[in-house]
Amino acid sequence: MHDYEDQFEQDLQQALERRPAPPGLKAKIMAARWQRRKDARHSHSLLWMRLAASLLIAALIGGGVRWDYERIQQRRRGEEARQQVLTALRITGHALNLVQERLAAHNSGNGD
Amino acid sequence: MNAKTIALRLGALALIAAGFALIARAQDGLPLPSPVEKELAARATDVTEVTLDKNMLGFAAKFLNDKDEDEAGARKLISGLQGIYVREYEFDKEGQYSMDDVAKLRAYFETPEWSPIVHEHERKSGETTDVLIKLVNGETRGMFVLAAEPKELTIVLILGPIHPEDLSKLGGLGGLGALGNLPGVHQAPQDGKDKTGKPGDKKGDDE
Repeated sequence: MHDYEDQFEQDLQQALERRPAPPGLKAKIMAARWQRRKDARHSHSLLWMRLAASLLIAALIGGGVRWDYERIQQRRRGEEARQQVLTALRITGHALNLVQERLAAHNSGNGD
Repeated sequence: MNAKTIALRLGALALIAAGFALIARAQDGLPLPSPVEKELAARATDVTEVTLDKNMLGFAAKFLNDKDEDEAGARKLISGLQGIYVREYEFDKEGQYSMDDVAKLRAYFETPEWSPIVHEHERKSGETTDVLIKLVNGETRGMFVLAAEPKELTIVLILGPIHPEDLSKLGGLGGLGALGNLPGVHQAPQDGKDKTGKPGDKKGDDE
């Protein structure tokens, strides 16, 4: 029993004995830590980039839709203005024809 | 400064702004609707109102089809105009407007710069025709037509240079070419001769 305890104590001492870190461990840990930070930063910036890209695409689509809507509205207003011009000219023509007819009737009446 | 003073000042500012808007509109050359027009519109069964200032004419010109002869002619015609003001009132029966209304309309549009070239009134039917033109340095710079039929009243005001040779190309637009035949409307000189009549030299009046 006593031997067994001694052996255990010896093993424990051996296990707890301070050993120097293997060469390059610190560098490995620092590198791993830096890599983790880099990955985190990368994924963070990737998230922002995705967000920015999404916003840009949304803005482009929105701008395109808006531009198309404005173009359609512009065309509609232009067509309305065109119709108004043609209506105005038709009414003008009608009024001038009436004037012509009356003048002609007046002149023929005078001729008689 | 109490609330009443602020309200009064805001009211005054609004009035000034409205005044500026009216001045700006008047500077366009196009008149504001005559008070008689509202009454006529209320009595009419069909009302056509077209008011196009220079900007709108320019905008409309972009949408006129150059391949269509009439539209190409219309485009050329409106290209130099300052504005077009047209009102057409159609009534379901006769007697919906009085000669007093017609006189008021004529007086509203007839300013000293306009020369009457046609004034005709048929006593029996009550039909009236007036044509006035605005001459600047011997060129037609505006035309006003007031045509009153028993069931129809038409007002046409065109501001800007009018070239009858352009109008004559608009055969499909209700005989606009007739303008070229009106007395007093200046046509472009051809073969070195000015073939226009003098304003008023065919003034007809049955009264």
